[in-house]
Amino acid sequence: MDSFHPHDKNHFYRAAGTAILHYVYLEKYHQAALLSFTAPFPLSSHPHYSHYHHHCMKTIIEPFRIKSVEPIYFNTAEARQLILEKAFYNPFLIHSDDVLIDLLTDSGTSAMSSNQWAGIMQGDESYAGSPSFFRFEKAIKDITGLPLVIPTHQGRASEKILFSIMGGKGKYFVSNTLFDTTRANIEFSGAEGVDMICEEGRYPTVPAPFKGNMDTVALQKFIDEKGAEHIPLCILTVTNNSGGGQPVSMQNIREVHAICKAHAIPLFIDACRFAENAWFIKLREPGYADTPVPEIVRELFSYADGCTMSAKKDAFANIGGFLAMHNEQLAQQCRNLLVITEGFPTYGGLAGRDLEAIAIGLHEVMDEHYLQYRIRSIEYLTNKLIAAGVPVMQPAGGHAVYLDAKGFLPHIPVDQYPGQALVGALYVHGGIRGVEIGSLMFGKYDEQHQLVPAALELVRLAIPRRVYTQSHIDYVSEVIIEVFNKRNEIEGLTILEESPILRHFTVKLSPIKK
Amino acid sequence: MTTAAQRKKAMQEAGYNTFLLKSEDVYIDLLTDSGTSAMSDRQWAGMMMGDEAYAGSRNFYHLEEVVKDVYGYKYLIPTHQGRGAENILSKILIKKGDIIPGNMYFTTTRLHQELAGGKFEDIIIDEAHDPENEFAFKGNVDLNKLEKLIKKHGAKKIPYVSIATSVNMAGGQPISMQNLKAIRALTKKHGIRIIHDMTRVAENAFFIQQKEKGQGHKTVKQLVKEICSYTDGATMSAKKDALVNIGGFLAVNEWDVFEEARNMVVVYEGLHTYGGLAGRDMEAMAIGIGESVSDDHIRARVGQVIYLGEKMIEYDVPIVKPIGGHGIFVDAKKFLPHIPQTQYPAQTLAAEIYLDSGVRTMERGVVSAGRKANGENYFPKLELVRFTIPRRVYTQAHMDVIAESAARVFERRKKILGMKMVYEPKYLRFFQARFAKL
Repeated sequence: MDSFHPHDKNHFYRAAGTAILHYVYLEKYHQAALLSFTAPFPLSSHPHYSHYHHHCMKTIIEPFRIKSVEPIYFNTAEARQLILEKAFYNPFLIHSDDVLIDLLTDSGTSAMSSNQWAGIMQGDESYAGSPSFFRFEKAIKDITGLPLVIPTHQGRASEKILFSIMGGKGKYFVSNTLFDTTRANIEFSGAEGVDMICEEGRYPTVPAPFKGNMDTVALQKFIDEKGAEHIPLCILTVTNNSGGGQPVSMQNIREVHAICKAHAIPLFIDACRFAENAWFIKLREPGYADTPVPEIVRELFSYADGCTMSAKKDAFANIGGFLAMHNEQLAQQCRNLLVITEGFPTYGGLAGRDLEAIAIGLHEVMDEHYLQYRIRSIEYLTNKLIAAGVPVMQPAGGHAVYLDAKGFLPHIPVDQYPGQALVGALYVHGGIRGVEIGSLMFGKYDEQHQLVPAALELVRLAIPRRVYTQSHIDYVSEVIIEVFNKRNEIEGLTILEESPILRHFTVKLSPIKK
Repeated sequence: MTTAAQRKKAMQEAGYNTFLLKSEDVYIDLLTDSGTSAMSDRQWAGMMMGDEAYAGSRNFYHLEEVVKDVYGYKYLIPTHQGRGAENILSKILIKKGDIIPGNMYFTTTRLHQELAGGKFEDIIIDEAHDPENEFAFKGNVDLNKLEKLIKKHGAKKIPYVSIATSVNMAGGQPISMQNLKAIRALTKKHGIRIIHDMTRVAENAFFIQQKEKGQGHKTVKQLVKEICSYTDGATMSAKKDALVNIGGFLAVNEWDVFEEARNMVVVYEGLHTYGGLAGRDMEAMAIGIGESVSDDHIRARVGQVIYLGEKMIEYDVPIVKPIGGHGIFVDAKKFLPHIPQTQYPAQTLAAEIYLDSGVRTMERGVVSAGRKANGENYFPKLELVRFTIPRRVYTQAHMDVIAESAARVFERRKKILGMKMVYEPKYLRFFQARFAKL
C-alpha cells in the first residue's frame, strides 16, 4: 500500500480546482454523463474564495487534533475470510473488534469533541425538569427557530410518534425521498409514502448540484389528484440519504413550502444532515456564497412547520434525537405518546448528559472549517475512485460513497446479491465494513417466490464524522481499487436462512462456487 | 436552595405536579430512584471505553456475558430503557383478550399490556394493600387467586404471569423465595411462563437474605441468580438496581421469543446489538450490574432507606410498613384523613412537602392509577407519596433534612386543603397532569 506523502498528486485536501464542481444543466440528463465532472477552475475563481481561503494553505486539514484514541485491530486476510464465513457473509454479524475501518454507518459513530465530553460530565440526571433539557431545548430553538422541542432516544422514535398521530389508512405522505425506516413507520400506520424526486435525482452517475430536490410539478399534480385533505404531511429529507446523500436547494425548499402552504399541508424537514445540506447550498446555490451557515440553516427551517432529527448524524452524538415544531396541539399529542415508549418529556429516553452533548454538537456542526473538511473528504474518496474507473454514484454526497455493485460485478446476477458479495470482498481484502443497499435490503419475493430486485444494487461506505484521517481514507481507496482489479474472482451469494422482515440484519448466506 | 416564596411560585407554575418542576428549583430530589444513581469510578471508566459501532459492539458482548453470568438468562436484547422492553415483550406475547396476572400493577407495565390488547389482573396477597400490615413479604402472590384465574380463563388465555421483585406500587415490598418456587411449580403444571420485572431484584434478594428462613447464608449474588432461575424471561430497567442513568433490556430463555424480539427491536429501539443505547451506556450497565449484587453495596443502600423510615416513624409520620427497599412511602390517606381520594390527597401532600423544604417527591395514588378502559377512575387502596432515594447520591445529613420536613408538614396537616385536576392527559396522566388548589 502506498504511503502518505504531502506532495502526492492525489493529496486529500489539496483544494485546487477539483474541489469545485462544474455543472452543466442539460434538458436530457443522460448527456451530462459525457461532460467533465471536475472542470479544472483555478481556486481564486470560486465565488467565496476570499471568504475562507484567503489565509489558508492549499491543504485543507482536519479542524481538530486528537486527544483520545481508540485502537483498531489488524487481522490477516485469511483470518478475515474465516470470520466472514462464521458470520455467514453478513457484515451485521461481525464483531466490531474484527473490523479495521468501519464504514457501516455514519449514525452514532461520530467522535465527540472535548467540549461535548465536558457536557457529558455536566449532565443533570433528574427525571423531570433537568437543566440539561433546558440547554438542549434552547440550542434547538436558537438554531431552528422551532419553539416546541421533544427529545427522543433516537430518530426512529421521533418518526414513530409523529406518524402514529398523523398517519392512518387512506393517507399519503409526500416527500423527495423517504428514508427506509421513515417509510416503514408511515406504512406501519396504514398510510402510503410517495417519493417525488426530481428528474436529475434518478440517474446515479449523472452529476447535478441538487439531486435531492423534490419534483414540485409532480407534487402539485398529486395534490390536485388526491386532494390536500388526504395528505397530512410533506417531508423533505435533507440531505437525501437514500438518494446518495444529495442535497436539496433552498429554492426548492421555498417552492415546496409555497405549494404546501397554499394547500395547508404541513411541511416537516427530516433534518439528520441539515448542516451538510446547508454547506452544499453555500457552495453551489447562487446568492449564498457569503451567507454564514447558521443563517442558511435558520432560513431552511423557517419554511418548515417542524422537523424530525436523528442527533446521531449532524449533532455528533452517539445517541439521541428529537422532534421540534410550531403547533402546540400537535406537540402535546406527541408528548402523550412519548411517555409510553420513550420517557418523560424532559428526557425522552436519554440520559441528561446526552442532552448536553447534543446541544453542544448542534452548534459545532455548523462550523465552516468542519463542513469544508467533511464534505471534501467524501469528495476526495469519490474522485479517487472515479479516476481509477470504479463505478460510483455521482456527484459525491455529504456523508458516504456509494459503489455501484452492478457495474462493479457485472458477472454476478442480482439474485446472487452482487452488493453483498462486494461487501464481503472489501472486508476480506482490507477489513473494511460497508453495507449493501440493494436487493438484499429492499428486495421482495413475488407469489412464485421469485426475487423482485431493488432498482439499484449499491454498497454504501458511510464515513463517520471526525473519526478517520486522510491515511485511513487513502487506505480505503486502495483496498477498493485492488478489489476492483480482481473483481472477476468474486463469487455471488445464496441465502441459507432469512427472517420475514428486515432480513438484512440477520440473514445467513454462503458463496456460490463457480 | 430556594426561599418559600420562590417555591410557591415554582409550584404554581408547575400546576401542583412535582413532575413539572425544574430540577434547579429542587433542593433534594426524591422524585425517583430511576436513572438518578451516581455511577462509580469504574463505570465512568467504562463510559470512556464505549465502542459506538452500529453492529457488533464489544460492549454488547460484554453486557451479554454479564447478564448470563449474574442473572442466568440466555438471550439478551438491549433497549433504551425498561419501557422499551415492556413495549416489545407485550407486543410479542399478548393477544387480544389475554389475561396477565401480576403482583400489583405498575404504571407503564400495565399500560403496555393494555395497549397490546391484554387485561391485567392483580394477584398480590391482600396484605399488600394494607399499609400497616407488617408481613415481611408483601410482594408475594396469592396462589389461590392465581389458580382461580387459570381455572376461569384457561391457561391458554394467560401468556405469562408478570412477577415483580421489590413491588414498587406496594412500597418496594419483596417477594419470598418460597413464594416464587410455589408460583413456578403452579405455572409449570399449566405451561405458563413467568416474566420477571426485575428492575430491583438485588434489593429484593437482600430482604430474602435478611428475613427469610433458611436463606441467610447465601450471598445477594447467589440469591439473585436463584430468583431469576424460577422465571422464563425478564424486562429490566437498568436505571434502578444496575446503577446507570439510561438503559434497559429484555432477556429470555426461549429462542423463538428472542428471534421475534430481535426483529422488533430494530423498529422501535435500534439494531439488536445496541437497542437504542450508546455503546458506553451498555458498558456502564455491564459494570453496574456487577456492582449491584455486592452485599456491601446493597446493605448500605437499603440501610439508608431504613434509616430514613425509622426517623419518620419517630416523628409519627404514617408510612407503609415494613420499610421497603428503594424509598419511604407515606400513607397520604392517614396523613390527610380530611381530604377525600377524589381530591387527590397524595398529590396534595407531595406539593406541600415541596413547599416546605424543596424536597421533591412523587404521588403514587389515584392520579398514578389512571382510568379503566371504560373511562372510570381506578381508586387504588393505597394513596401514597413516594420518597424515593437515588442510589449512592445523598448522605445521612440529607436524610435528616427530609424526615424533619415531613414532620413539619405533619404538624400543620389539618390546615391543608385538597386539589382538583385541571388538565388530564390521555396516557400516564400523572406525568403531565395539572392541578389547582381548592
